[in-house]
Formats: sequence, structure tokens, C-alpha cells
Amino acid sequence: MIADVVVIGAGVVGACCARACAEAGLTVVVVDRGAVAGGTTGGGEGNILVSDKEPGPELDLALLSRELWAQMAGALGDSFELDPKGGLVVAANAATFEQLLRFADAQRACGVVAEPVAASDLPDLEPRISRDLAGGVLYPQDMQVQPMLAAAHIIESARATGRTTLLTECAVTGIDVDATGVISGVRTAQGVISTRYVINAAGTWGGEIAALAGVELPILPRRGFILVTEPLPPMVRHKVYAADYVANVASDNAGLETSAVIEGTHSGTILIGASRERVGFDKTLDWKVLGRLARQAIDVFPFLADVSLLRTYGGFRPYCPDHLPVIGPDPRVAGLMHACGHEGAGVGLAAATGHVIAQSITGAPTSIDLAPFSPARFEASRVG
Amino acid sequence: MATDVLVVGGGAAGIAAAVVAARSGCSVTLIDSSPTVGGQYYRGAEPPDSGSGLSYEALRRAFDELVDAARIDRRLHTYAYALERRDGGFLLRTRGDDRHRGDVGEVEASAVVIATGAFDRQLPFPGWTLPGVMSGGGAQALVKGSGVLPGQRIVVAGTGPFLLAVAHALISAGGNVAAVVEANDPLGLARHTRSVLPAAGKSADLARFLAALAKKRVPYLRRHRVRRATGNGRLESVTVSRVGDDWQAIPGTERLLECDALAIGYGFTAQTDLAGQVGARMRIGSDDGLAIEVDARQRTSVDGLLAAGETTGIGGVDLARMEGLIAGVAAVEHCGRRAALSERAIDRGMRDVVKLRGFADALHATFPVRDGWRDDVDDTTLVCRCEEVSAAKVRSAVNDLGARDARSVKLLTRAGMGWCQGRVCAPAVDGLCGFDSAASLIGGSYRPVAVPVPLGAIASDRMSP
Amino acid sequence: MSDKAAKRPGSAGSTAAPAEFSFDGTPYRAIEGQTIAAALIEHGIVAWRRTRVNDQPRGILCGIGVCFDCLITVNGEPNVRACMARVEPGDDVRSQEGTGYGD
Repeated sequence: MIADVVVIGAGVVGACCARACAEAGLTVVVVDRGAVAGGTTGGGEGNILVSDKEPGPELDLALLSRELWAQMAGALGDSFELDPKGGLVVAANAATFEQLLRFADAQRACGVVAEPVAASDLPDLEPRISRDLAGGVLYPQDMQVQPMLAAAHIIESARATGRTTLLTECAVTGIDVDATGVISGVRTAQGVISTRYVINAAGTWGGEIAALAGVELPILPRRGFILVTEPLPPMVRHKVYAADYVANVASDNAGLETSAVIEGTHSGTILIGASRERVGFDKTLDWKVLGRLARQAIDVFPFLADVSLLRTYGGFRPYCPDHLPVIGPDPRVAGLMHACGHEGAGVGLAAATGHVIAQSITGAPTSIDLAPFSPARFEASRVG
Repeated sequence: MATDVLVVGGGAAGIAAAVVAARSGCSVTLIDSSPTVGGQYYRGAEPPDSGSGLSYEALRRAFDELVDAARIDRRLHTYAYALERRDGGFLLRTRGDDRHRGDVGEVEASAVVIATGAFDRQLPFPGWTLPGVMSGGGAQALVKGSGVLPGQRIVVAGTGPFLLAVAHALISAGGNVAAVVEANDPLGLARHTRSVLPAAGKSADLARFLAALAKKRVPYLRRHRVRRATGNGRLESVTVSRVGDDWQAIPGTERLLECDALAIGYGFTAQTDLAGQVGARMRIGSDDGLAIEVDARQRTSVDGLLAAGETTGIGGVDLARMEGLIAGVAAVEHCGRRAALSERAIDRGMRDVVKLRGFADALHATFPVRDGWRDDVDDTTLVCRCEEVSAAKVRSAVNDLGARDARSVKLLTRAGMGWCQGRVCAPAVDGLCGFDSAASLIGGSYRPVAVPVPLGAIASDRMSP
Repeated sequence: MSDKAAKRPGSAGSTAAPAEFSFDGTPYRAIEGQTIAAALIEHGIVAWRRTRVNDQPRGILCGIGVCFDCLITVNGEPNVRACMARVEPGDDVRSQEGTGYGD
């Protein structure tokens, strides 16, 4: 087998990379040791958010990505339930509300639409929300997709170009680098694929793939659980979350952090997150964590107390020490491109990630500066 | 507050385990979701005075006495929603019945016996969502539990000797059974009968059921299968055909049976949720269904976790009782005590388990599920009743979207994401998609919440630290 | 009102007291201890829920608490399993649409 590009990982990031490369005229093989969307993609909520990003390179990437997502949804029909529902960030007290408003001011300067909402106006946006909140900020640009459907349909669209092959249940066992330090092939359970480019879209397992090419990539799992309720009529209109979510995302704390994130879905179930813990790849359910998530969600939407929990699922966000994804060519191995480490924002940032990776491979100028995302930044920090 | 032995499920297996453990000096808690113990087979019937030794009747009487003597803490109307490991033992999280689902509780235990039984396995067919179509077990529960017949004219269908038990229960209650429609040919069982049937003492039951059918002139249509159900808003008739070895319908053999109730089932699915939550190893039983893997002492791969009855592989009520006894012994030993059951009785019990398991395997070999049922599942037939997912959508997930196991079909189609969490549709999804790997079955069977529980009841301020 | 319940076949608890309940406002009689599903089926009612996607009628399927197809509203509380919940005197039982939350 021979291809211009081998994408490792059939999650949403790998899917977007494959589609962008195929559209650029490259031949692509997507390999995954499991199924499509079998890893972190399948364990997520499908967030496409700008609201939780502080001004900086990740916000720029997010703004680009949401536009590309909207384009993709237009091109692929309504196949993955893209819902421009908007985000509503709420503050429990006056001090937090004050911080939230300042945060929103800074975001607005970068092109984010952020509309302050007084406590008395919250029920107009969310009729069932708690009356004990201090206020909020509405982010109309936030969107949601059904992430598994998105990954599957985006890969399907790449295959429809005739230039993409999908190999599932096909573990990568090695990455061949020739004597000049250039990628020459990928060894898999189903044989060798000759290629000059490898895109590491292995998410939380991106470090293992990097190691196969002989380089280090500091990606760690950060566990999260989501509660899923019984199906309900539309009762939560936006993605509603507590302002302390942003602080938790940016935190370096290895211990348990939870903050309320509540949203409805097309199917009627309500998803409740979000917990963050650095406990390795331990998937053991922790009912104390679930209990905290339930408590915090009820504080925002009191009606949830009487709503039944049907299931819960967990996943591992790929986390880098500086909370930025790793996107772009690895200076240590020619042809090795990273597209991983997106933490909880993989779905949201996937469209832009695929876009700039394809630009980078074809030698086109990238839509945004990739320097902040470069794997080279770890090289520097490791010295000494 | 911790109990030595916690038994989940008060059917034949659970009662046997609880009695052995309590008699051996262990503190015992038994929970069951029903208002009475007895499980699906005995359904709370008062134990007759007859029966001795380790018969169900004797065990049930002993159970009641131990409850009265406060040596067994029996908690009825109680559901288990989660099992966790805790300090070398276990923590079981419980809730009340549907009228009290917010009444949550916890039971800590050194050893846990999973005796949660099984439910009918369904295969979808056009019209199977019509009111009036129900499981064989459901029809039996109506008659035995509430004294109500499921309809005026009832067809019993599917495969397995349980169909005869259901038909017998319906006839005994005065029901009008139009036919028993059996997809396999039970005559194949004759090959095994000489070796296992007399030993198991099962032939008498089957003969009694067949005699009752004959007396009422109820046709026993072997090698026949219900292909569709029709009716306007409720069941009015079913179409049956003669079928070949692979259950493909034989052209020209269709016939219409008028009925307002259909009691149907293609074997059973074990309730393995709690064991799966603590990571117990599973196996594929001889009926191709999932079962908890146990050793000769009913010990699972998790230290201190025992399993008995249908959860270890479908095998019937006598096997369940014997496994319950052995599991009770193992639970007692796990707690560092000596079982109040002689070594001889234990050995005999383990031999009975082997013998009865052999009989169950012979039954499964005689009443397998063959692929021909898939032919009737047209694109519009619902596979997942909860989320109303059609067969077309399930097939498309595999053919167009690259789904390769039950989990990815679920994520892509929502089949299995509704109220029942795939308990009903899992065998159908696996069958339609041709997933037969143990990994797919096991992956699709992990259910972190065994029964829905209100968020307010699990919110952290309601839980113990 | 029907009195069929009193002489139904194969009763395991014929000595139990009758329990009056209502279904969608119409009074019915059951035997205390009967499940709501059994009491309704006895009166010829086999469907009491309409599904939220295709608006189709449903009654019992598994009949033993596993499938949740028989969900019904009891005394204002939606999504109670009719096959498991026992009739209690005075119960106000209602059929339900969709999710059961007034949709």
C-alpha cells in the first residue's frame, strides 16, 4: 500500500485531517487500532466553543474552526446534528460575575461575540434556570455537533473523493524513518504503508505514536465523566456552564475539579459535565465525582433533581502541560505532523487543525501562525 | 453497618445462597426489586410444606424463618443501580421501586452474590412493536403474578422449552392458546435425552406440558417461525411460516393466525450489569449469550464476588438453586468461616451443577438461534424500540460509516442508548450486523447505571463521604 | 366499571382486597397487588404510551421491568414501569405521550 499521507487515528481530528488532505488532492490512508470515533471523540459532548478560550492562539484557532465547521456542515448536509445553540456562561455570585464580564471584554476585543446578561434576564434565555444566579454572558457563536456522527461522516466524505482509505481495527506497530531522517512508511497489523507524511491524530495516545517515530511528546490523559439523563422535551436551550469551568480548564491541578456544564441534545437527553482528573488511564467509575456533577447541575437547573440518570460515560482528554494542542511539523523527523493534544477542545478545534495541517503538507501558507502549537516548544523546555 | 454476605436477587439462586450463608453464621442482606422473593419462576408463591433437604420448598421455608429471626436482612422493592469495590469489599448502591425511586441507600459487604436472573431474548420482526406483542416471561408474569391473561386468544412463539412452560401456565389459568410456534425441531433433543434428561428429572415437566397442550388440542408448530405481526394500533394477527434449517421461511407455507396476544422469546439474556461494573470476566455461553465466568465454586474473576443462576449462563431453576448453594458456600469461605453444609453435600451439589449445566448445553444445542430471522427484518423494522432506530439505520452504520462493533453502532445510531440501555436490542444489533466477537458483546454490555436513578438522589450532599 | 377482576382466571390472590384506581379519568377496579399493566390488560387496555419519535402506541414488552416500554404516569409522576408498579387504591393513572413531560 502506498499513500501521500497516513493519518493515525480515526477520531474527529483524524477525520478532519483526512478530509482536508483528500480535498487538497493527496491520497490518504486513515488507520485506527479500534473503530471510528472509538477514543476520546466518542467520549465527548461535541463542543465547538469560543466562550471558554482566553485571548491567544487557541482562541484564534477556535474562531477559524467554527467557520470551517459551519462550511463542512453545509457541504455534508445535516449529517452530524450541528446545532448553533450558543453558550451561556453563568456566575453564581457577584464577584464571579465581575470576573466573567472582564473575561468577556477581553474576548470581545479578539472578535468573540459576548453579550452580558443580567440575572433578571437569564430566565428569558433559559426559563428553567435557577433564580439564584448573579448573571451571565451569552456567546452566540458556540455550537455543538454529535461528535461520533461528525467523525464518521467526515471520513465518509473523504472516502467519497476516491483518495481516502479507512483501516479500522488496524494497530500501528511502527513508523519507519530512513537514514536521512525522513519518514518512509508506517507498519501496521495489516501490512506496511509507504508514505512520506504521517499525521499523528492519536489524541490522548499521541505520545505513544510519537515514540514510534523516535520522539517524545508530553501528552497526558485527563479523565472526565459525563452524565446522561432520560430523554426530555427541550428544557435547556443553550450550552449552559458555570464560570468556574474556564478556571478549571486552565488549571494544572492533578486532583479532581468539577464545574457544571449542562446542555440538551437532539435526542432529548441532557448531558451533564464536566470533571477533570489526572488519574492515568483508569476508567473506574467514581460515584463521588458523579454526585458532585449532579449537585452542581441541580444548582443551575433545579428541575434536574427529579430527572433520572440513565447512563454515564468517561473519556480521557489529551492534555499538554501548557494546555495548547500540538499542531504542525515535528522538526525532529521530516514528514511527521502532529495533530493532537487538544484536551477538551478536540471537536471544536478539529476543523481548523485539519485545514492547517493540509496547508502545511502542501506547502501553502497556513491560515494562522502555527508557531505557538509547534512541537518544538517541548524541545526547548526539556533542555536542562 | 457492613454485612458479611450481600445477595442481589431473591430467586431460587439467591434464596439458596442466603440460606447457606446465614446458617453458617454470616450476617446476610438480600435485596430484590419485587414485593416478594421467589424470582421469575416461583413468583412469590407461598412455599408448600412438602419438600425437604435442599429442595426449593425447604430452602424457601428456611429463608422465611431466617428472615423472621432477623438473621437475613431482606429488603424488597429494592433495586441495585451500582456496585463498586470498596476497602477490599463492596459497596452496593440501591434505590426504591418506581414509586420511591429517590429512596437511595447503600449496603457494604465483604462478599456479594450476583443472582439477578435473566430476561427473554427478543429478535425484531415487522410489527413486533404492536401492543399485544410481549415476551414469554412477561406473559407468564401476568398470569402467575397478577392472575391476568394477556389476551383472549394467545399465540406462544420463539424457541426453547420455556415456550411450553408459558403455554402451560396460560392454559392452566383458562387461557385460549391458539398455537405454540417453535422455530427449532425439539426432536433433536432425543439425541441427548438418554444421557441427561432422566438424571436431571426434566422429562416429567416437559411431558406434562406437552400433555396439557394435547388435551386442549393446541397445535405445537415445530420448525415454524412468526414472521410478522399485524393489527391496527394493536395486535390482530401473526403470520407464521414453516422454516428450514437456517430458519429461512419456506415459500408457500405462510399462514395467518388470528390473535390479540403474542408471547414470544428466543431464549434468554443474563442480567450481568453489576458484575460488569466491577470488571468481572465474562464468557459467551452455549446459547451465544453473555454470561459471568465462574469457577466450580461459583467464584468470578473478582475476589469476593460470586455469581449464581442464570447470570452464569442460562440453565433453569434447578441449576440456579444448586449454583446458589455453592455460591453461598464460597461467600461464607470468603468471609473466613466454615460453611454449614457438609463436604459431601457440597461435592454432590457441584456434581449436580455439572450435570445440569450439561443438560442446559444440550437444550441450547437443540434450540439455537439461526440466522434466517434476519431475512424478515425489513428496513423500516425498528431494532431499538426505545430510541426508535430502524434496521436501515443500523445497517447503514456498518455499511456506510464503518461501525465494527456494538459500541460504535450505538454511538452512531443511538440503538441501545434509551431507557433500557440496549438490554433488549443488543442481540438484534449483533445479529443484524454479524458481530459475533466476545469483545463486541462484552463491550456492548457495560452499563454503569443498572437502573435509572434520579439526579437529586445521587447528588453529592445525599451520598455518604 | 368492570367487576371482571373479581373472577378472573388463575388468580393467585383472590382473597386480596379490590383497589379502585382511575386510568385517564375513568374509574377501574383491580386487585390490590396486581401490577398496573395487569390491571389495564385485564380491562382490555393494551397500550398506554405513545412514543416520542414516531408517535406509536406501546404497552408491555418484557413484562418484568427490563425494557421500560410500558412507561406510564402515576399520580403525576411520569415514566413509572406499569409492569412493576402495583396498583394502590386511589391511584390516578394516566397514559403518556413522548417523554412523559407534557410534550
